[in-house]
Amino acid sequence: MDASALLLALRFGDTAFPSGGFAFSQGLEGLGAVSGARPDTDAIAGFLTEQVRHRWGSAERVTLVQCHRGDGDLDAIAALDHDLDLSSFSEPLRLGARRNGAALLATHLRLGTPGAAAYRARVADGAAPGTLAAVQGLLWRASGLDEASAALLAGYQLVTGGLTAATRLGLIGALGAQQAMPALLATVAAVCAEPVASDAEPVGFSPFSDIAAARQARLPLRLFSN
Amino acid sequence: MNDLSPSRQPVPPHPANAARIGIGGPVGSGKTALIEALLPVFQRRGISVAVVTNDLVTAEDAERLRRSGIIDPARVLAVEAGACPHTVIREDPTLNILAADELDARFPGLELVIIESGGDNLASTFSLDLVDWWIFVIDVAGGGDIPRKRGPGVLQCDLLVVNKVDLAPHVGVDLDAMLEEARAVRGGSPLLATACRAGINIEAVADAICAAVLIRR
Repeated sequence: MDASALLLALRFGDTAFPSGGFAFSQGLEGLGAVSGARPDTDAIAGFLTEQVRHRWGSAERVTLVQCHRGDGDLDAIAALDHDLDLSSFSEPLRLGARRNGAALLATHLRLGTPGAAAYRARVADGAAPGTLAAVQGLLWRASGLDEASAALLAGYQLVTGGLTAATRLGLIGALGAQQAMPALLATVAAVCAEPVASDAEPVGFSPFSDIAAARQARLPLRLFSN
Repeated sequence: MNDLSPSRQPVPPHPANAARIGIGGPVGSGKTALIEALLPVFQRRGISVAVVTNDLVTAEDAERLRRSGIIDPARVLAVEAGACPHTVIREDPTLNILAADELDARFPGLELVIIESGGDNLASTFSLDLVDWWIFVIDVAGGGDIPRKRGPGVLQCDLLVVNKVDLAPHVGVDLDAMLEEARAVRGGSPLLATACRAGINIEAVADAICAAVLIRR
């Protein structure tokens, strides 16, 4: 990776880049309600590993990569976007992906990223769901981020977002989060090393995460959007 | 997400027509009470208003406003703050911008969007990416020494509201001294003393908002 690509990935991966992602726990807030106990570091790491391996890696990442390859072809990207949306069983995670995608689109619209305005119009018209992965693929390609970096960045954000949510929920300390991170990032790297075929379909299956997200949606007190 | 959340789809690209103001301040200072008091005033003045709330762990403030009968419930949206009431109004106000955009598109002719922050501390400030102008609410029951602490919220807001002034004698606060200190630390920037429940100085707050962002009013 050359310096400019690294700096671009750092820019988009930094929490200083406004994307609304901090408000989503991807179901982690409901983990305690499912297990019946306060989740410890192992439980949190296990939850995130399942998401990386069995949901994000085989579903969102596939759509992100294919949308990146779409190189601004909005019809093709919208079709991939629909496929991912339809393949998402969990309503809180599906709607969260749309809302998180809308937030990222809103930021890039204001930054003038090519394709952001046109795709946002499609989403507003109901012609595309605007899932986060599809929007990442579209906008990060338009911003000059290469395919491999885009996939790694999205995986990194899933892991850091989950650990940050766990920290804010008081389940883990900031140092504990950093101790858990190397293994999780190794999982991201391993997942991203698996090639994405041009005709691959998103096939996420993470029932435990789905149940946790469903429980989170019913919690009387919630800090996160999902 | 909850029933009061913005819809999951972005609204059509749309220039922001309505002015956007923020109302921040510590928990219990009277932010929601101020909005409840302001809404009938704006209604009498014929000003079209919508509200975005940033409750910390529930949609309580949004529910309270929706059930109040003083505003169309559809004009109140709740945005989850992800345990970061600072972040959602300052470092990453994206979700609040989305909500305000949605209200703008949903209600043609909308003139004012009030964005109420979650209860926070004196370091809370609004991003000017999100709002055009903002109020910080403190109250006498929180302590007469609040202005002296010179929190960024107290210092940087466009209008400081010192609320619950009617309680001053009951909580041992020298109101005149508190207001004098507030004026001093703000270097003369606008300040109003209110009692939202008693309706004291609410018209003056509405006047300040209109003068700042609704010039034609």
